[in-house]
Amino acid sequence: MTSRECSKPKIVWLQAITCNGNTHSLLSANANRLKLFLDSFNLIYHPSLTTELLLEELLQQNEEIDFLLVEGAITSNKDFFQISNQTTSEVLKKLVLKSKYLIAVGSCASYGGVHKKFEQNSDIFGLEEALEKKEISSLFHPIINLTGCPVHPEWIFQTLFSLKEYKKIGLDEKGRPKEIYSHLAHHGCTRNEYFEWKVEAKSFGLKEGCLFYEQGCRGPMTHSNCNRVLWNDVNTKTRAGMPCIGCTEFDFPRDNMLETKKNIGIPDQVPIGVSKRAYLSLAGVAKTFKIERLHERIIK
Amino acid sequence: MKTVDIVERIEGEAKLVCQWEKNKISDVRVEFLNFRGFEYILKGKAPLDALVYTPRICGICGQAHLKATVEALEQIYKNHNEELIITNKAKLLREVGLNIEIIDSHIKWFYMFIMPDVVKFSNNDYSEYKALKGKKWLEASACASEVIKVLAIIGGQWPHTSYMIPGGVVSDPTLLDLTTMQNYIDYGIKFFENNLVGMEIENYLSFNEAEDLYKVKADLKDFITLSFENGFEKIGKSYNRHLVLGSSLSFEEGKINKKLIKNIDFENIEELSLNTFNIDKSKNSKDAYTWSKSALYANNFYETGPLSRTLVQNRKFISSVHKHYKDSMFTRVMARMDELGFLLKKTKELIKRVDISEDSFIKPKISINEFKHGLAEVAVEACRGSLYHEVEIEDGKISKYDVITPTVWNLGPGIDGKLSTSQKAIIGTNSIEKAKLILRSFDVCSVCTTH
Repeated sequence: MTSRECSKPKIVWLQAITCNGNTHSLLSANANRLKLFLDSFNLIYHPSLTTELLLEELLQQNEEIDFLLVEGAITSNKDFFQISNQTTSEVLKKLVLKSKYLIAVGSCASYGGVHKKFEQNSDIFGLEEALEKKEISSLFHPIINLTGCPVHPEWIFQTLFSLKEYKKIGLDEKGRPKEIYSHLAHHGCTRNEYFEWKVEAKSFGLKEGCLFYEQGCRGPMTHSNCNRVLWNDVNTKTRAGMPCIGCTEFDFPRDNMLETKKNIGIPDQVPIGVSKRAYLSLAGVAKTFKIERLHERIIK
Repeated sequence: MKTVDIVERIEGEAKLVCQWEKNKISDVRVEFLNFRGFEYILKGKAPLDALVYTPRICGICGQAHLKATVEALEQIYKNHNEELIITNKAKLLREVGLNIEIIDSHIKWFYMFIMPDVVKFSNNDYSEYKALKGKKWLEASACASEVIKVLAIIGGQWPHTSYMIPGGVVSDPTLLDLTTMQNYIDYGIKFFENNLVGMEIENYLSFNEAEDLYKVKADLKDFITLSFENGFEKIGKSYNRHLVLGSSLSFEEGKINKKLIKNIDFENIEELSLNTFNIDKSKNSKDAYTWSKSALYANNFYETGPLSRTLVQNRKFISSVHKHYKDSMFTRVMARMDELGFLLKKTKELIKRVDISEDSFIKPKISINEFKHGLAEVAVEACRGSLYHEVEIEDGKISKYDVITPTVWNLGPGIDGKLSTSQKAIIGTNSIEKAKLILRSFDVCSVCTTH
C-alpha cells in the first residue's frame, strides 16, 4: 500500500440481516461519483466485493476503522443468523470498538426495517437499539442513520465526504442527517401541481394526477430528498407513477402501502404540519377551481 | 480429512464443508446459516403489500420476485373468472425491466465475482481485473450503472421498485423515454462489443459452433484462455439435467433429462426439508444442517440458470460448446456471458415494440382483497434461473407464500442419498480454490437461497 493509500480514511462495510439492496444501490451510483469515492476512501472490507481481507482477519487485526458502515438489521440469535460463525451482534460490537464513526446504511440497519417483521425471531433490531450506551461511548459521533430501502448512493457519498471534511454532521431526532432528511419526498415531485389543486390520479399508469388521494403515496409525510437527488440519475418512484411507500421512515413497512387509508372519503393522514381541518378547507376551495388543463392528458 | 471454508462474495455467505479422500473431495455440504423468514413475514399481509415485500427478498433480483408476485396475483383473478387484461405495452415494459436486471447482474457477476478469482490461477499480470481499483472493474461497474437506468425510467428507481401491479404497470413512458432507454442499452452493447468480446454484437451472435470460441477477443478471451490453461472445461460437471420453469418473449420453458421436453407441469415440483432447520428448534431433524430446502422436479435434481435456458432454447453457439464440454464450470460461465449478449439485443427489440398509445394499466373491476380464497403458482426466469412463487389467499389476506429460488434448485442439500446439482458438480475436485469456483459458477445468492 502506498503512503497516500494509507492516509485515506478506512471504511469497513458490514452486512448483517439484509437483502444486499444497499450494496447494489451503491454499485449503481453515478460512475464518476463511485470512482471518486473509491479514490478518496480506503474500502478495506466489503463481503460482496473482492477486498483483501476476510471478516475473520478483519476482526483479528488491531487497525482502527474510520467509518463502520452497516447494512442490515442486527440479531444476537445465532440459530437464525450467523456470519463467520458469530452472531451479527457479536461482530458489530467488536467492530464498533475499533471505529470512529458508525453509520447505518438503510432502513434495516437504522430501525430493523423489513426484517424486523419476522416476528418468530423477536431479537431483530437497528443499530441504536442493538447497542448499549457504553458500547458506543468510544465513537466520535452519534450513530448516523441513513434510512431508505434502499439508501440512495449519493446520501452515502455526501455523508462520508462531509464527515471527512467537517468531522460532524447535523442529525434530526431520528439520527438522520438533517440536510438530507429535512426535505420531504414530495419536494420536487413532478406531480406537485396536481397535489396543489387536489387533482387525483384516475388510476395507475398515468403521467397525470397526484397519487396521494387513492394510491397511498406518502410523499408529503416522508422525509427524504428523493425528488431532488434523482435515483440512478434519471428518475424517482413518484415521478414514474409509483406511490412513495415511506421507506425512509421509522414505521416502514406499514400495512396497505398501495392504497390510501380514508375516513368518510378523507385521507386519514394529511401532510406533515397541516391540521386536518385546515387541509379540508383548503382542499374544498382548491377543488372548486376546476383547472381544465389539469384534467386533460399532458400529451394528446 | 475434513475442511470447512467460509465463502464470501456470494451475496451473503455460505460454508463449504468438504470431506477429502486421496486429495479429492469425496463429499461436500453447502451450508447456508442465514434465515430471514420472508414466507413467515408475508403471512397475514394484504396481497398488494407483497409487491413491496418480495422484491426485498433480494437486492439483485428483486424485479424477478416482483414479476412473480404480480403474475401470481393476476392468476388469482383469473381463477375467479375475473381475468385482467394486460396490454402488450405493460407486458413489454415488465419484461424489459426484468431483462435489464438480468443484464446488470451478469455484468457485475463476471467482473466482480468470477474474474477476480479466475485470474488468481495465472502468474501473468491481470491487475486490470483488480476489484475496486482495476480499470476493467471500474468500467464494468460504470456500464452496469448506466444500463440499469433503463429500468429506472420505467420503474422510478433500482433496486426496489414495485412498478408492476395487477392490471399493468404504474408508469407511462413517452417516446423520448423509449429512445433514451435504447440509448442506455446501446451503451451496454458498446461495452459488450469493446470490452467483453472484442467484436460487433451481430458478429458474436452469429457464432454457431464451439470452434468459434477461438474467434472471441477481449476480456472473454482472457477467461477462455485461463480456463483452458487450468482445465476449467473439465471440472464442475453435474447431472447435465436442465430445467426452465418460466416462459416469456425472451425464454422458453422446458426440461432436458437426456432429451428435451418443452412441457412443464408445476405438479412435478416438490420442495423438501429433510436437511433444513425448522424455525421451531425443538422440531429440528438430526440431519438438519442448512436453512436451504431441496427442490426436485419429477423426483430429480435439475440445474437451472443461463446454461439451462440456452440449451432449452437451443441457441447454437453455447449448445455446441456444451456438446464438447458438457455442464462444466467453463460452459456455465460462457452461457451466462452469452446470455448477456443475447439479452442486450433482445431487450432493445422489445423496447422497439412498445406502442405508447396503449394503456399502461387497466384497473381491475374488483379489489383483490375481496376474494375469500385464492391460489396461484407462477414461475419467471431470474438472473440465476427459475424462480417459483406459490400464493394462497384467505379472506383477502395472504395465508401462505412459498418461494423456490433458482439457488435452491442448484445449491440446496441433496436428499435420500441423491446428491444435489452443486454437490455432484463439486465432488471429485482436487482443490478448494477450484471447488469455490465451481460453486460460484452457479452464481450463488445466499440471501435468495434462504429468504
